[in-house]
Amino acid sequence: MNIIEIHNLVHRFSDGTPGLDGINLTVRKGDFVVIAGANGSGKTTLLKHLNGLLYPDAGTVKVDGFSVKKRPKAARQFVGMVFQDADTQIVGETVYEDVAFGPENLCLPESEIKKRVEAALRSVGLWALRYQRPHLLSGGEKRRLAIAGVLTMKPKVLVFDEPFSNLDYPGIRQVLWQMIRLHKQGHTLIVTTHDLEKVIAHAQRLIIMKDGKLVRDGIPGDLVEELEKFSIRKPYSRGLKGEFISWVN
Amino acid sequence: MGELTNHFFSDKSCWLRRIDVRFKMVFLVFLSLVIIKANFSGLLLLFLTQSLVFLASRISLKKTIKDFRFFFFFLMFIFLAQTLSVSGKNLLFQIHLFSLEIHITQEAVATGALVCFRLFLIVVLGYLFISSTLSSEVKMAVTWFLKPVPLIPENRVATMLSLLMRFLPLILQQAGETAAAQRARGVNNRKNPVYRFMKFTIPMLRRTFLRTNDLILAMEARGYSEKRTIKKLSANKLDWLSLVIVIALSLLVMLAQM
Ligand SMILES: Nc1ncnc2c1ncn2[C@@H]1O[C@H](COP(=O)(O)OP(=O)(O)OP(=O)(O)O)[C@@H](O)[C@H]1O
Ligand SMILES: [Mg+2]
Repeated sequence: MNIIEIHNLVHRFSDGTPGLDGINLTVRKGDFVVIAGANGSGKTTLLKHLNGLLYPDAGTVKVDGFSVKKRPKAARQFVGMVFQDADTQIVGETVYEDVAFGPENLCLPESEIKKRVEAALRSVGLWALRYQRPHLLSGGEKRRLAIAGVLTMKPKVLVFDEPFSNLDYPGIRQVLWQMIRLHKQGHTLIVTTHDLEKVIAHAQRLIIMKDGKLVRDGIPGDLVEELEKFSIRKPYSRGLKGEFISWVN
Repeated sequence: MGELTNHFFSDKSCWLRRIDVRFKMVFLVFLSLVIIKANFSGLLLLFLTQSLVFLASRISLKKTIKDFRFFFFFLMFIFLAQTLSVSGKNLLFQIHLFSLEIHITQEAVATGALVCFRLFLIVVLGYLFISSTLSSEVKMAVTWFLKPVPLIPENRVATMLSLLMRFLPLILQQAGETAAAQRARGVNNRKNPVYRFMKFTIPMLRRTFLRTNDLILAMEARGYSEKRTIKKLSANKLDWLSLVIVIALSLLVMLAQM
């Protein structure tokens, strides 16, 4: 079943910059998709169409069979987005309040909010820090906080925009571990990055973007040799049988 | 914002933190009025109670003293100004400064001390309040107090307050970072204040707008709208108990006056 269907998507920014140009993309339920591309290739712009932060100038974007443009609120609940910059995502005064922000917007009753917030914070290992101020968290913790904030809305699709930027090695592993766990639970994952090394071992599908277009779409192993052509660094650490090596073990 | 709320408790285990914010606001207003009216023995009583509350809470003494450093200078200044300006009958001592002759009277010292004592107690009261309250709780309380007021849409006020609370720290942080970046590039060598003002304001505003935009997107992505769950405040035993104590204390202070 296709959980995301994008058809001939075109987006132009108000100053005339062409952001996206004729994107066609379908994603199946439960997939782990990585979108790679150089800076400015349009990755973030594409992701913003999935939950109605941007609307297409032409073409259609559908999630779970409905049009994002027609039901943006539903799309925002269905597609949870973890942004590129972890700091700008913080809206609450404490870790707990920040995570409660989403379910409060869904107008859920207080007892349900409490339950969801606790479950989400425990699942990313931040329950002990619930009264901490979010700005004081480490980079990895902030990213996990953003994940928790999204999880409370019970999305089926999780979108990660450059989840590893500004993270150190332990931070990367913490976040990656969460992503793998969520994928195992049945979430559909879409991850953008310009550094494939860290996620490639777990991806089932690799999409390459360049200048607002999808230029390659296939199995990671098949596309590796072409990466440098699109200004993406090739992942070098390979195992004995040529398989990609995971960063978490 | 870091500096404004550095006395933030990282957990809810302190009882002061658990008192309902509406009660705390009422106490704040009520006790401030009592302090203004109280005389010396009343103030002493209030001072003792405040010290007890302070010691029983989990606010760090070291940090508090650090926060109060400048305030003590301020108090000293007020005390001096009062003793020098108030006139009275009972002369305490005289100072000869060049040709000037300054009389310090008992009344002057007493008024100065009283004024400083009151100010000190009110500030400590406020300090206890902000040390144990989140700004989002203040927002909830304001919304609650506004509810019976006609013609004021309390939900909209709450939205505006919470937006303000989210954007203010952002703007302050942006200003701090811009200033630091400019100092690192030697803006201090420029003497022209207009030049410095322009060079500071424009990039700061630009960055603030950009970040504000990101924040709005983040809020929108999580479905923000005016219609949302609003936490209900509920008073418990501790709140009513503290109310009784505050009233009893105020009565005592008033009695001490007579
Ligand atoms: N609001 C905007 N107005 C005009 N142009 C924009 C706007 N936002 C993005 N762009 C342009 O659109 C292009 C694609 O941007 P986008 O942020 O999607 O790239 P990206 O692949 O996410 O890059 P990065 O790896 O740096 O995050 C860029 O050339 C960018 O300059
Ligand atoms: Mg991007």
